Parts: sequence; structure tokens; C-alpha cells
Amino acid sequence: MPEIRVTPLGAGQDVGRSCILVSIAGKNVMLDCGMHMGFNDDRRFPDFSYITRNGRLTDFLDCVIISHFHLDHCGALPYFSEMVGYDGPIYMTHPTQAICPILLEDYRKIAVDKKGEANFFTSQMIKDCMKKVVAVHLHQTVQVDDELEIKAYYAGHVLGAAMFQIKVGSESVVYTGDYNMTPDRHLGAAWIDKCRPNLLITESTYATTIRDSKRCRERDFLKKVHEAVERGGKVLIPVFALGRAQELCILLETFWERMNLKAPIYFSTGLTEKANHYYKLFITWTNQKIRKTFVQRNMFEFKHIKAFDRAFADNPGPMVVFATPGMLHAGQSLQIFRKWAGNEKNMVIMPGYCVQGTVGHKILSGQRKLEMEGRQVLEVKMQVEYMSFSAHADAKGIMQLVGQAEPESVLLVHGEAKKMEFLKQKIEQEFRVNCYMPANGETVTLPTSPSIPVGISLGLLKREMAQGLLPDAKKPRLLHGTLIMKDSNFRLVSSEQALKELGLVEHQLRFTCRVHLHDPRKEQETAMRVYSHLKSMLKDHCVQHLPDGSVTVESILIQAAAHSEDPGTKVLLVSWTYQDEELGSYLTSLLKKGLPQAPS
Amino acid sequence: MDPECSQLLPALCAVLADPRQPMADDTCLEKLLDWFKTITEAGSSLLLLQENPCLVELLCHMLKPQDLSSRVLSFSLRLTGVFAAQEDCFQYLQQGELLPRLFGEAGPLGGAAWTAPTVRSGWIQGLRSLARHPSALHFLADCGAVDTIFSLQGDSSLFVASAAGQLLVHILGLSMQGPADGPPSLQAGDWPACAKKIVGHIEESLRSTATPQITQALNVLTTTFGHCHDPWTRVLWVRLSPLVAGLLEKDPVPAAHSLVDLLLSVARSPGLSSSSCGLWETLAQTLSRLSPTQAGPLALGILKLQDCPQALRAQAFAVLLQPLACVLKATAQAPGASGVLDGTVGDFATVDTLLPSKAACVGLLCRTLAHLELLLPLPQRPCPWPQAPLLGAAVTLLQLCQGSASPTSDTGHHLCALLLGCVRVQRAALDFLGTLSQGTGPPELVTEVFAVLLEYLRSPDSSPTVLKKAFQATFRWLLSSPKTPGCWDLDPQALLFLRELLPVLQKRLCSPCWEVRDSGLEFLTQMTGRWGGQAGFRHALLASEVPKLTEQLLRDPESYVRASAVAATGQLSSQGLCISPASPEHPGGQQKSPLSELLHILSTDSEGFPRRAAMHVFTQWLRDSHADVVGDTEEFVAGVLQVASQDLDWEVRAQGLELALVFLEQTLGQPGSPCPYAVTPPVVAPACPLAQALQPLCRVRLFEFAFRALFDCDRPVAQKSCDLLLFLRAKMASSSSPQEARSSPDVASVEAALQRWQAGDQAQPLGDLEPEVVLAVLKSMDLEGLRGALAESSDHVEKSPQSLLQDMLATVGILGENEADCY
Repeated sequence: MPEIRVTPLGAGQDVGRSCILVSIAGKNVMLDCGMHMGFNDDRRFPDFSYITRNGRLTDFLDCVIISHFHLDHCGALPYFSEMVGYDGPIYMTHPTQAICPILLEDYRKIAVDKKGEANFFTSQMIKDCMKKVVAVHLHQTVQVDDELEIKAYYAGHVLGAAMFQIKVGSESVVYTGDYNMTPDRHLGAAWIDKCRPNLLITESTYATTIRDSKRCRERDFLKKVHEAVERGGKVLIPVFALGRAQELCILLETFWERMNLKAPIYFSTGLTEKANHYYKLFITWTNQKIRKTFVQRNMFEFKHIKAFDRAFADNPGPMVVFATPGMLHAGQSLQIFRKWAGNEKNMVIMPGYCVQGTVGHKILSGQRKLEMEGRQVLEVKMQVEYMSFSAHADAKGIMQLVGQAEPESVLLVHGEAKKMEFLKQKIEQEFRVNCYMPANGETVTLPTSPSIPVGISLGLLKREMAQGLLPDAKKPRLLHGTLIMKDSNFRLVSSEQALKELGLVEHQLRFTCRVHLHDPRKEQETAMRVYSHLKSMLKDHCVQHLPDGSVTVESILIQAAAHSEDPGTKVLLVSWTYQDEELGSYLTSLLKKGLPQAPS
Repeated sequence: MDPECSQLLPALCAVLADPRQPMADDTCLEKLLDWFKTITEAGSSLLLLQENPCLVELLCHMLKPQDLSSRVLSFSLRLTGVFAAQEDCFQYLQQGELLPRLFGEAGPLGGAAWTAPTVRSGWIQGLRSLARHPSALHFLADCGAVDTIFSLQGDSSLFVASAAGQLLVHILGLSMQGPADGPPSLQAGDWPACAKKIVGHIEESLRSTATPQITQALNVLTTTFGHCHDPWTRVLWVRLSPLVAGLLEKDPVPAAHSLVDLLLSVARSPGLSSSSCGLWETLAQTLSRLSPTQAGPLALGILKLQDCPQALRAQAFAVLLQPLACVLKATAQAPGASGVLDGTVGDFATVDTLLPSKAACVGLLCRTLAHLELLLPLPQRPCPWPQAPLLGAAVTLLQLCQGSASPTSDTGHHLCALLLGCVRVQRAALDFLGTLSQGTGPPELVTEVFAVLLEYLRSPDSSPTVLKKAFQATFRWLLSSPKTPGCWDLDPQALLFLRELLPVLQKRLCSPCWEVRDSGLEFLTQMTGRWGGQAGFRHALLASEVPKLTEQLLRDPESYVRASAVAATGQLSSQGLCISPASPEHPGGQQKSPLSELLHILSTDSEGFPRRAAMHVFTQWLRDSHADVVGDTEEFVAGVLQVASQDLDWEVRAQGLELALVFLEQTLGQPGSPCPYAVTPPVVAPACPLAQALQPLCRVRLFEFAFRALFDCDRPVAQKSCDLLLFLRAKMASSSSPQEARSSPDVASVEAALQRWQAGDQAQPLGDLEPEVVLAVLKSMDLEGLRGALAESSDHVEKSPQSLLQDMLATVGILGENEADCY
């Protein structure tokens, strides 16, 4: 029985490292290859040993698909391809291919810097890994091999994020990755056509949430920054180099412009230049507004935001600084935080999630006395704010996407079990489809009924057309022909053509039946009686009495013979071809009832 | 456990026991468990529980019917196992009936929580930790756990199923440790109860008709024989081998992959392989019963064995070679001319049966090539090694994929149609071809190898990954080309090839794909490093546009390519192959010198890779006494250090310190070069007093850079600087320099500046430093202390157990605000 199998190695009932294995029509695909930032050991990567017990990964997996550049979706990729040994193709969109190595490199540096980790992928490995990437365009159908094809759809969320349709023959799966159904300041909303996949694998981060308008959050953010700057404070915004940073930069840039503010805004590393370069380069991936205004003014050429120098942190007066990394766990953002933490006029705004074990996590959970190295205690007097700008579809958005794609089944990943449970019921009720939510390591198996494409010969079609009415797309029509399977292809042709192609000779198959009649007359007379009887019964058919005494009705042949033992009985030998099977059966039953009494 | 943690623990246990307080971060419980494991490995679990009664209370709390989080329940089961691993603590927990209630039918096993895979996983892991002593075995038998583990082998979760199998292996091993008087007999009567039960289950599974059950049994046995080599395993194998052999009678052979794993595991087991348990016969039979795809891994495994009968090895090698032999046979120009292992290709091995469809054909060929690639470098590889036919097969496959083969037979055409444009086979064949360069081949075949490589490098259809592999294989074949032993020059044939190759490389350096440009540059760097000094190579290279293109690629839009161009330029320049105003081959050249080009990149490139590559080249140039550097080394070092010290990328700053260290060693004299092959630089012998020797270091402002780096926010930079200054201080001690400026005002001002730097205010520069001041400051600094502090990772405070407990407690109640956020 053909089936689709899905096993999450990560993101099954959790929001960790995404890594989902899909088997579809004999093809094996790995969706995303993320890492968990909360662990510092092997647990940060998915356990790839579960992919296959038998043989090499490169032989088992047909391809790896990366939905977007966030590390929880691509962070394990260099490890997987260069250290575990996967040597096959990796697919992602062009912006993801461009941005992914920056984030991987950023993370590598922090891991090595912070922990002096030796067993970590190197820059060369990141490069070698990126060389295995095949970049795809939106809506471009890419043939991975003769049978497997993939297609990317716009997902919003971050620059270059894509949903992927994976198709083998008539079977297909759509994987959403992370997506956003409402446009934000720099990106548009996710969209997919009515592709009716067998299975839709969707993220469910905000499975039970209806998110408030992003405008409110933005207003709130600007208000807080403005207040802090007005009172002469310094504002630190720890960010990762790409993604949210750009969104917030646009926000502040326009606000500064509108309010004519003078306080400097800095971005802490050289990375921003490259990040902004990519936003310019991939302008088609941003939203309509940015694209429209691009000709007059590029949104990513910031007038107010300048490069940060370490010495600026000690400058007097207000300022806003975007610094990496985003969880305050190392490097420049932590250094600036230490300098500014003691002043209550200052503020730190955490625009995203922080894992346990980081200073970001500590201050977000309200800890105000932090022990630093050497038993020093850092008292945090600065204002600490949290603002979630993560761009995921909320419950409404997820339902909207399911409605758009019209899948046969839905599978939830990248969310919490309890919330998934709620959404699962909602989807099942509203769309009358099965919804699954496997935990990591659990396999969901979906039986599929594959439709096998069959080519029809032109001759057969023409003959059909000549015989009947014009075809109607809405009404199925019965078509007779001979099915030929050759070179893994199916074709329906006329039997004559089949015989010709296969070099076969036609055999005639005739059904025969004996009917006993009580009739003492001679055979010829009995045959004559049969002829008369049938002639009267079958007015629409061509009934003939042949010179040799036999009777024919279409292809049916009837001969009368004497019974070898009983001279009072005649045996009627009836034979017909398979084409006239119906008529043959009818005739036989008719004759079995006997002939009408002959006029004496 | 330190008192601070002890104080925090009751509150934490209360939080964990409260179902209304969900844990936001799923890593916390894992880390908490890690911590408990560390504590219990170092001390008594019993004492820990007695001193912290809240822990037992937490475990007891899990028994109450309530809506507990499955994660907390799983954690508690695992934690219980960690504690009960010590026998006295096990008894303690037994007294309270805690263990049977947690792990028996009355516990989660019988409840709704069991539907969560994490709970089942926790249950198994708890038992896995607990099963360390005989009491645990009795407990497992009494509470019926073994039957549950049997059923969990078929769990819907891969993780649970796999852990269940592992646990069975563990329990079997533990129970067999018990009998002290030698290995048990074949009869089950004298086996320990637990072992008897498990072995009985395995036997039953092996007799089953259900493949999943057979697979489970085989996997358990594979792990057992793989991990345990005690005498009892031999008895076990003797007892089970007939059942295993019985699987081969079935058609098709069930669970073939697992069967292969088991047989290889047994064959590798020292006590089993040499015994006469009929293993070799079973292996031979398996080889002949399995399909080529299934038999491949077994054949490879057999050939890797150290001692195994020659006939079996020959059979295995024949299985491995079959697909390639088949390819050669199908494409042979004349019948019977395949030359590869004619004996191995029986009548059955036709293309149609062995390589029926495209998917099967590609899969089998890739696996075969990978297996042979693994086998080739091993000492136990078959001898004689059919190098020439294999070379022929690799070349033929590459030609088939490229469409350049001209098969005459129908099967050859069929293969051609299957493989045309197949990137997977191209990649595998190129890798294999590269590995084959370790051996030699007949000259006409080597010519064919170079021809097919050139074909791939030229072809517009070659994908970037294929091209990269073609470049790699080409380099390996060029390396293997010398005919004269001990001479590394390229032979005439290779030089001829090179002349054809360079125009191709030139074209590839202009490819629109950055991956291709980069692979081309990496190839160029490798080649120049190897043959840059050879006249033939130099001539061919300089006659091409390659050096000019390399120079242009220094301005490539892609940073990876710029970095590779920097490395290539460094290598070309070291060999005098750069186009520069000074180059005799290009007297009219208008380009900047490579040094100024690379310095420009170091100071202006917006990305780290090219800047790091430039630093790497500079350090190498300094080590090798590159002509441009030797002219005015001080100016060079000063210039590079000034730019590197300002760099935003800590790796560039760290490499700046590496360069400083090389300069320091050269200036002060480092006895014995660390690299035996390095060209010995013109070392300034430290005949003069140390202070005088330090003058050049002061002039290049090395110390300001090093002192500033000591307080760098990026730890590796600080560490590197610390090492550098400690090296200098060791020099100081050995030279017993009389000059000191202990109490001069300069010293005081430098020390004050350093203190400010340490406090975070790095604005003030040090100005010109005198060697005496440097020496005095160095002497007074606590560099060892600093090194100790730096040795700890910067997040060691946040990683501490106390910090973990604080974080977990601090998260309580605020989850509503930040929950479910992510990137």
C-alpha cells in the first residue's frame, strides 16, 4: 500500500530544532536541519543516527530542504553535511543561501569565542556546506531527480523564508516552515495556491493565540525608546544580525525622520552592512510598499543609523544601539549591557526569545542582581523591556492557510503539545480532515491512493470522438482499449494498435453452449423454426439463415444437430464472440425456453 | 551540593510538583538532570535524598492522580533511576514502595500519561539508570517490567523503541554478570531468570513470521555481540545461530539489513569469529541469498575483517564488484573484453537483473562505488587489487553519465539512457576516481582518466558540486603522476595535461557561479603550493590568464571567493607567480603589488573571510621570509598590526596576535623551528640585552596591541595575548636582564592605563613605550591569574547549577508574558 511517512526528529510537539523526515513514494526528504541554542553539547543537534540504520545518509536521503535562515531551521546543516557526512543536494531559496552562512558564521564565532569549543564546525565547513546548496526561485518547479520535484512558495516570516511543495507523481506534501499570514513592515504575507496536497505540515507556534495588531506592538516599542531617549538614557537593543534587526531599523529610521530626533542610532557590527546589502539585493522578496518606494528611496539606506564603534558606548548623552548577539550571551551586546546596566535612565529592549543560561533570559525573568565572573555582582538598574516581534502565523492565519491549500490531511509541528491539541480539534472540525501532531521520534503514516497517469493514443481518442458526443470535463466517460506497460509508462491504445506494436497475432475467442430442444423433425426444419422464431423476437438485429442451414444473429452462430441417443431431441450448438456476450447469453436463455408451437 | 543550591531546591521541587506552573524552557529539566547525575556520580545518592527530603517528596508527588506535565513526569522517572543506581539508595526508595509505584502497573504505565512518548522514554531511561545491581534485577522481574520493555520495542516512537532494545541488551548483560562459575550451558535451565526470559523472547521473535519482531530480535543481538565479548555470548550465539540461519531459508529473507548487521557484529566479536559455529558458512550463504543491494554492506564488512577464509573473501569481493563488472561487460567494445573479474560476472548478472530501473541502478552503483572507496585505503583490502579494471569502470561510468561513451550493445545503450546526466553517479564516481589515484594504472588508462576529468571540467553541464569533485580528483591524479621515485615534479604527460587544463580553469574562474569560481581558486592554490617552484608549471601558468584573473577575483562580489583569491594570491606571490610591477615575466604590469592589494583588503573589506585570509597569508609570508616582507619587516608588521588591532572581527585580531608572536619569535630567537619543513628565517640572535632586542617590537607598537587585547571582549583574543606576553616573560626570566624601571613614572602611568582598560575604558592610548617600561609592567602583571580566569568559558557563571535553579525559579509566574516565543 503506498503511503507517506513523516517522522520529526525535532519540532515534534516542541519549538526547538526543526528537522522532519518525509518519505513519499519511495523518496526520502529531510525538511530543515536546525539546532537548539539552549544546549552546548550534542543535544543541540538532532540525532541523525535515526535517519537510517542501513548505509550512508547520502544514499538514503534524496535531498535536504531548508525553509529559512533561522538557526533553529538551518543551524545543524554544516554539522550534518561536513561532519556527519551527508553529501547530497541541499535546497533553499536564494536569499536563504546568501544569509545562512552569515548567521552560521556568527554562531560559530560565538560558540568558539564563549566556550572555546573545539568540536564545532569551522568556517571552511560552512563554506563547503553552502557549496552543496542548490538555490531555487519562488514558484519554480525544480526536478531533484526524474520523479521528485519541489516548488517554493512565499512564506513571509523573514527574508527568503519559503514553504515547499514536495511532489512525486500525483502525491505531494507541503511543508510551511515558519510563516506569517499578515504583512509586516518589510515583508509580505505568506501565500500558497490551491495545490491540494496529500499532507500539509504546518508550524503551530501560535496555535491558540490570536495576535494583537503588530501596529500596537510597534507603537509601544517606539514610545518606550522615545521616552528613554527623551530622559537622556541610552537604549540597548540586542539583536541577531539579520531579520528582526532590519525591521526595527526601518521602524526607528522612519520614526526618527518623522519626529526629527537627533539622538544617534548605531548598529554594532559590520554585519549590518552586509545584511542591508542583502535586503537591497533581494528587494523582490520584501513587501509591496518597500518595492514601490524603492525607486524613490531605498528603505534600507538608513540616514540615521550609523556604524558603532566600541568607544561610543562611553559617550555622554542619549543613544540607541543595536548590538549582537541577541540573547546577551557574549560579545558586544553583553559588554555594552554591563556598562549601561547600572543606570536607571537606560533601557534594554529584548525583541526576541532568550534561552536559559543567557543573561537575556535572566533579566527577562526579572533577576536584577546578576553574578558575573569572579563573584562580582552586577546590579541591573536599567529598565528591562520585552517585545515579541516574532513573525508567525496565529491560529487564524494557520486556519487561513489550511483553507488556501485544501490538504487531505494536516500535520502540526513547531509548537507546544497542549496548544497543538486545541488547534488539531479545530482543524478537524472545520475542514473535516485528519490532523496529526507526532512527538519527536514518532512516525505518522498516511495511506495514499496513487493515481497512475496513462497516455491515450490519438487514434483511440479520435475513434471515441467519432463514435460519441463531445467530451464533457465534468462527466466521467467509459473508454475501452488495451493497456500497454512499457518502460515504466502506461498507454491506452486500440487493440489493433496494441497487436501491431507488440507484434502479436489476434486470437478469436468464442463462447459455446448447447441447448437441447424436443423436436422430432429433421435438423434443417428445426433450424428453420429457430430462424423464424428469432426473426420474430429480434427485430432490431440482423438474423440470417445461411445456405448450409445454420442461423446467425450478428456474430452468433446457431447450428442444429441430431441427438446421438434420442432421435426426438435436437441439439442446438450456439457460439458467439466476446463482443456479443450479452446478446449470446440472451439468445441462449431464449432458446432454452423452447420454440413456439409450429402451426400444424 | 553547595548550600546555596540546597536552599533553592525545596522551592524548585514545589514548582515542579505544581501542574499549574509549566516549564517554559525544555532544556532546563535536561540540565537539571545533568546536574543530579554529576552529583550522584561524585557522592552518595542516599545522603543527598536524606539531606534534601524535598526530592523524595517530589517523587512521591508524581504518584498522586493529577494533571501532571508529561515532561516533569518523565524527568521524575529519570531522576528516580539516577538515584536508585546506587544500591543503598535503591533499597531506601524500595522501602517506601516508591519504585514499584513509579515503575509498576500502578504508576504512569497504567495511566493516561503513558500515551506521551516522553513519559515512556523517561520510564525506560529511569530503568536503564537503575539497572546497575542485582537488587535491580529482582525488582525488574517482580514488577513485570521486562514484558513491558518487550512491547515497547515496537513503540510508535523511534526513540522509545530504540531505547527499549538498548535496555534489553543492558539487562541481559547485567543478569549474565551474576553467575560466577563460568558461562552457562546451552540449556536454558541454568540461566538467570531475567536472561532466560529475554533469550526466550528473542527465540520466539526469530521464529515469528512478522518481520518487525525479527528485526527487533536481530537488533538486540547485534548490540549485545557488539558491546559484550564475555564467554556467555559465545554460548548464546551457539544456541541462537540455527534460528538465525533458519531466516535464510525464507524467501524473501526477512529483515535483511538487520541480519547483515548481526552477522557482521558476530564476525567482529573476538570470541565468536574464530569459533566453529558455522559462521563462515552462514556468511557465505547469506551473501548468495541476498540481493546485490542488501549484500553490498555485508561484502564490505567481510572484507574488512582481519581474519576470514580466503574463499569467503573472494566471494564477498565478487559480490562487491558485480555491478561494475556488469557495467563494463555491457559497454565492452568486443565481447569478453571487460577484463574485470570475468569470473564474478556469471550469467545471472545481466544489466536487466542487476540494474533494472534507473533508481535501482543509480542506488546500487553509488553504494558500490562508496564501498570500494572505503575498502581501497585499508591494509586488508583484497590482493591483487584490480586497479586497472576499476579505473576502467570509473571512467566508463563517468563517460556514460556524460553521454560520451559509445556503447555498441543494446544493454550498453540501455545503461547510457539510465545514467545520462545523473549527478549522483557523477559525484560518487569522481570521488572513487580520486581515491583510485593512490594506485597506478596502465598509461593508456591514465590518459583516459585525465581525458574524462578534462571533459567534466570543460562541460557546461557539470554542476558546481560535480566540478568541485572533478577539481579534487584532478589534483589527486596530478599528485600521483610522478614516475621517478622521490621526484615530485610533474611528468611530461601531466604537463601536457596542464596546458589543456589551464584554459579550462581560466574559464571556470569567470563562471557566474561563485561556487565554481571558489573551487577553481582552491584548486589553483593547491597546485601552486605543490608545483609553484617547477619550471614547467610556472611557464604554463604564466602563459595563461590565470594569475591576472586571480588578481581580479580579489574584488569579487562574493566574500568567499575574495577570501580564496587572497589565499591564491598569497600562494602565487610566495612562488613569484603574481603579476606585479616587479615581475620579470610582466615588465609592463601596472598592477599594485600583492602586499598592498592584500593590505587594502585587510583594511577595507566589509567582511571577515577575506580579512582573515589576508592575515593568514601575511603570517605565512612572515614565517617564510617572503621577498616583499624581508625588505622592511618592521614596516610590514607595524602596518599589519595597526589595521588588525582595529578590526571588528575577533578572529582577525587573534590572527594579528599570531603574526605578532611570529615576529616576536623571529626577533628574540626561538630555538628550533616548530615546523621541520619551514624555511629558517634570518633570525636575529639575542646576543644583545633583552631590552635592546625589544626595541623593534616597541617600534611596531606590538605591546600596545597585546596589552589592549588582554582586555578584549572576545575571550580567544585575550587568551592569545596572554600566551604571547607569558612567552615574553619566560624569555625575560631566562635572559636575566639587568635593566629595570620598576618605579619610573612611565611604568605607573602604563599600569594605570591598563587598569582603566580592564575596567572597560579603552579610550586612552599608551603612546610610545620603552622596552624597560614594558619589561617592568610585564613583571608586575598577574598574567597567570588572568590566564586562569580566561580558561573558564565566559558563560560559566550562567551555566552553574545555582544559576540554573535561580532561572527556573525566576521564570515562575511570568510565563504568560513571554510564552511560546521563538526566533
